[in-house]
Amino acid sequence: MPRAATHSPVAMEQEAASTQLAAAIVRIAAGDRNALKLVYRDTAAKLFGVCLRILHDQGEAEDVLQDVYLAVWRRAAMFDPRRASPASWLVAIARNRSIDRLRSGAFVRRMQSIDGALDIASNAPDALEQVETAEERQRLIRCLDELEPQDAGAIRAAFLDGTTYEMLADQLKIPLGTMKSRIRRSLIKLRACLEK
Amino acid sequence: MNEEGSIERENAAPVAAEYVLGVLSAQEHRNFKARLLREPALAAEVEFWEGKLGALASEIKSVSPPDRIWSRIETALPANNAVRFLGLWQSLPFWRWAAIGSAAIAAASLAALIYVGQPPGPNPPLVAKLDVSGGQVGFVAAVDREGGGLTIVPASATDVKQRVLELWLIAPGDQPRSLGLIEPGRPIHINLPAALIQRVAPDATLAVSLEPPGGSPTGLPTGQVIASGKLTPL
Repeated sequence: MPRAATHSPVAMEQEAASTQLAAAIVRIAAGDRNALKLVYRDTAAKLFGVCLRILHDQGEAEDVLQDVYLAVWRRAAMFDPRRASPASWLVAIARNRSIDRLRSGAFVRRMQSIDGALDIASNAPDALEQVETAEERQRLIRCLDELEPQDAGAIRAAFLDGTTYEMLADQLKIPLGTMKSRIRRSLIKLRACLEK
Repeated sequence: MNEEGSIERENAAPVAAEYVLGVLSAQEHRNFKARLLREPALAAEVEFWEGKLGALASEIKSVSPPDRIWSRIETALPANNAVRFLGLWQSLPFWRWAAIGSAAIAAASLAALIYVGQPPGPNPPLVAKLDVSGGQVGFVAAVDREGGGLTIVPASATDVKQRVLELWLIAPGDQPRSLGLIEPGRPIHINLPAALIQRVAPDATLAVSLEPPGGSPTGLPTGQVIASGKLTPL
């Protein structure tokens, strides 16, 4: 969807990167492997980071990452550039696959095993970094700031780490029911703020 | 009705958000996924949250995956690498995208055609940017010479007032030939008449003129030419 006109060079660059990525996904839908390679080249480092952060396991994250791009290949025809930015579409696939893997109970997450992997800095070009518009991020942060700090922190942790209600309740030493109703209330508030 | 709708939405909002966040238990997560298939309104809600919360991903550190992952992906793809230009015309996202209709997006569709992995053939596809006055892009057109089809996408809104838009092909040294009527707000795919395909070559010009309803009565442009551009090979 065309956004309100922003003319700063950064915004234009983001727009261009996002457009290129959307163009490539459109080509993937037409069966173009080179387009998949292009999307992989530009986004794999970010999506691998997403998988690693949730799974805390190098091998599992590698398997899921492979699965993510095969899902991109199969589901490109469902990508609707009018409704989703390519960045959030790709991140959603990576998160969904990782969370499914985590919830499948097929392996037990070890919280420590990831530290080494996280230290490997990435020099790969990172299209997703460019296409996340600062504007969207700032708005989200502003809306999160309106919530109780502990709730905002829990929502962040859930998104980034794939933390469940049970784990959050455990970590924060709050009864599960209380945890749920607090987060639900915050999510309703957050939605109202984001819609403004 | 409205009230009911909004109540449903409010109930849907947290659970869709909970699903996107991933806080649900394994069982709840599965249940919601099953509901998602049956209830399109939920899917829209999920999209909303994925779009908004996606910005948090910028807090995640990028980590280069080992090279073997790409090899594994490539191996797992279907063997056939034949990308046909036609594929694009049958691609739903392309049409959704073309239908957005802004100049930036139309230019991007053109870029999609040009830059992404198009192997050069004996008759490469042709594209044209049809500029309106002031150098703005009015239409973007692409010709699949193998398949004999032309697609033209409006890049900006055109106010046609009681008139229709007619598309013309002007080969060097030839008179304008009508390719038919096009719509101001919608991408159109035209199957080129066999007699015209050979004239659709690099350096031919595409032009759009304003004509009375039903199209030019003379077979030549009678009204103002509002946009034109040269075809060039990809």
